[in-house]
Amino acid sequence: MLSRVADSLYWMSRYIERAEHTARLIAVKLESMVEQTPEDAAASWARVTQSLTGIKTAPLHLDAFAITRHLAFDRDNDNSLITSLSLARDNARQVREALSNEVWENLNRLYLRLAPVTMDSIWVHTPARLFRESLEEMHALEGVTYSTLSHGEGWYFLELGRHIERVQQLGRLLDVHFTAAQTGNGPKYFDWLVLLKFCTAFEPYTKQYTASIRPQKIAEFLLFDSEFPHSICFSVDRLTEALARVAPGAPPARRAAVERLAGRLKAAVDFGQVDELMSGGVAAFIADITKQCEQIHKALYSSYITYGAETVL
Amino acid sequence: MQHEVFANTEDFGGPDIVAGTGRISQPGVDAPYANYELGKPFDEMFSRDGQARATYAAIDSRVSSLPLEELNRRQQAVEQSFLHQGITFTVYNDNQATERIIPTDLLPRIVTAREWDRIERGLTQRIHALNLFLRDIYTDGRVLKDGVIPRSMIYGSKHYRREMRGIPVPHGAYVNICGSDLIRNEAGDFVVLEDNLRVPSGVSYMLANRDVARRAFPAVFRSMGVRPIEHYPLELLATLRSLTPFHEDVSIAILTPGVFNSAYFEHAFLARQMGVELVEGRDLLVNDNVVYTRTTSGLKRIDVIYRRIDDDFIDPLIFREDSALGVPGLFNAYRAGNVMIANALGTGVADDKAVYAYVPRLIRYYLAEEPILDNVETFLCREEKSLQHVLGNLDKLVVKAVGESGGYGMLIGPHASTKEREDFAEKIRADPENYIAQPTIQLSTAPTFVGNGIEARHVDLRPFILHGAETKLVPGALTRVALKRGSLVVNSSQGGGSKDTWVLSQ
Repeated sequence: MLSRVADSLYWMSRYIERAEHTARLIAVKLESMVEQTPEDAAASWARVTQSLTGIKTAPLHLDAFAITRHLAFDRDNDNSLITSLSLARDNARQVREALSNEVWENLNRLYLRLAPVTMDSIWVHTPARLFRESLEEMHALEGVTYSTLSHGEGWYFLELGRHIERVQQLGRLLDVHFTAAQTGNGPKYFDWLVLLKFCTAFEPYTKQYTASIRPQKIAEFLLFDSEFPHSICFSVDRLTEALARVAPGAPPARRAAVERLAGRLKAAVDFGQVDELMSGGVAAFIADITKQCEQIHKALYSSYITYGAETVL
Repeated sequence: MQHEVFANTEDFGGPDIVAGTGRISQPGVDAPYANYELGKPFDEMFSRDGQARATYAAIDSRVSSLPLEELNRRQQAVEQSFLHQGITFTVYNDNQATERIIPTDLLPRIVTAREWDRIERGLTQRIHALNLFLRDIYTDGRVLKDGVIPRSMIYGSKHYRREMRGIPVPHGAYVNICGSDLIRNEAGDFVVLEDNLRVPSGVSYMLANRDVARRAFPAVFRSMGVRPIEHYPLELLATLRSLTPFHEDVSIAILTPGVFNSAYFEHAFLARQMGVELVEGRDLLVNDNVVYTRTTSGLKRIDVIYRRIDDDFIDPLIFREDSALGVPGLFNAYRAGNVMIANALGTGVADDKAVYAYVPRLIRYYLAEEPILDNVETFLCREEKSLQHVLGNLDKLVVKAVGESGGYGMLIGPHASTKEREDFAEKIRADPENYIAQPTIQLSTAPTFVGNGIEARHVDLRPFILHGAETKLVPGALTRVALKRGSLVVNSSQGGGSKDTWVLSQ
């Protein structure tokens, strides 16, 4: 596979994952805010904004309209839903020949549908609906990707992008919640429940732990459950598997550089213990995992995509 | 035929039953043809007395049985489908990038088996002669020594590539992919307006339009014996393969300028259809005169490049050094025979305005045959007899300077004032070699859906010719349409659209 194609597939997938995560957070937040006091809702919006944009804002006054506009439709926000979709589409266009028609058309249609949307037009009725519908379309996109593309190298680059991004997003979301829990004005019962919904984890969690919502169990589930698709452990498993499948013909030394890092990450997650983490250690653990993902990203690029041609001639 | 089996009978509208109205529509009278004007140009559908030609009877009766709203609905469905497929080009305005589709018309243009036979033989003959000519001017120059074509015209051409001299080209096939523009004159005969021998585009629209028309009128399509064109990518692949002596494991790539090029959709489309790599200049590198792509597993050798980049930009070491699109060292790899490039470099010398006028003579010279397809009548002012004719008929002719393009240095006789004509005559007398003249060109008209009915619009015809070890034409073409009433400009950049072309088997 051309290195440039691998690069575009990887980023296309990362941006789609980012868009999906953003859309879900906005949808859940819009749906749940009606049950909160204005102060709690504002604190919760601030955490969502911080996890999505990395910018810590003071939740002084709640302006759901402005925040939603910024997170969803602001093209000057590098991480907004529309920016992510636009970048995903630009990358997909670069590699039209490596994608099926179905994948391209699903993505293109979704973008063309959202591009002209204005806040005023969605705010009058049920603002969450558009984001729910977008999520459905993104699930359809995931479905056609799974069923119309060969599960070869290109598909594994898509997997890599998806799961590296998911670890990062999930990590940031857990981080803002568990860091806030250390302070006096931390998340309340309802916020922990909403955190599970942010990760589509509410029902899978209750199946495992019953409806007893406890931060420690949430951390255990979202970090270490190996079967739930939006857990760190699940994503790390997928990405180590994908790393073993890409660049099959690359020289062993270069493969080793990437796989060693993947092995270390997997060990950290496999042998992590939630009991050891709870006393403030969740944030540190996540910081470590996130850093390791960044190293894998760099190794992936230097081994397979941006390597100097002179090293192989 | 394979495509019949897999034909997508999903309709844009309701069931497409060929329910005849039982009578022939009268242009200028009956809906939806109430605003259909028959003028001096040949009309594809109606004869001069307003009778629909037999080949269009099925389409006529189908269209007349559909309400206008239904046609509108189908037209919108087509546009939506093109937008979703990304069959678009980007227009930049005030830093705002807008994606536009190239409009496509629902109604097919029909070419009979007899007409096609002549086109096919004529274009085959023409591409043979042009390739012999290119080989000649890049090797012995016999045609120049024999005085058939003036030396200065070739060596002075900005598309002549000295670097190509003496480089062997497989099968002598310099032009492997050609898209010739034909028009139909008032008498109804197809004539060649232009040979596009560099990097012709449009074939993806030919294929996309087929999907449109087949889905818009499935039953009519089935009933008419339209010849399939879906094998074009296969034939293109075979043509590219035939350029190397290797048969197994030939590695082929399409070289695109990238996603911002207006024909990018086509480049990606062809790569997918053929199952070959789509590469940009930055994906390729040359080492020891061998071309490689950078892949995740290491470097991979490339044997054949179908380039969609102009000569000037292909190798900054040899041609334009400011080109970021090309590949440094590519030309030397080509010269060493380690990579084949289609089309060969330097083919543009054979499709400029002045050489065009000589093509009929080139056919006689190289093939000892009479041209099957005529040129548009062209007067070369460098020839005394023609010069006198041109000067005597300036009010009827279009005069063009051969070295210019885009409408510069041009006189449109019928629209010019006496003073303008007199001034221009002076210029021609001063430098006759620099001018050619043609009668004002009329393009034929074809029925085109315009929203509130069907009107006559001017069309041309661009068939695609493949030439490697063999010469092949897929029986189809891109029919370009000038969508503005009365306009003769079919270019997509200036309000042109396109429509499907049905070549009939009987």
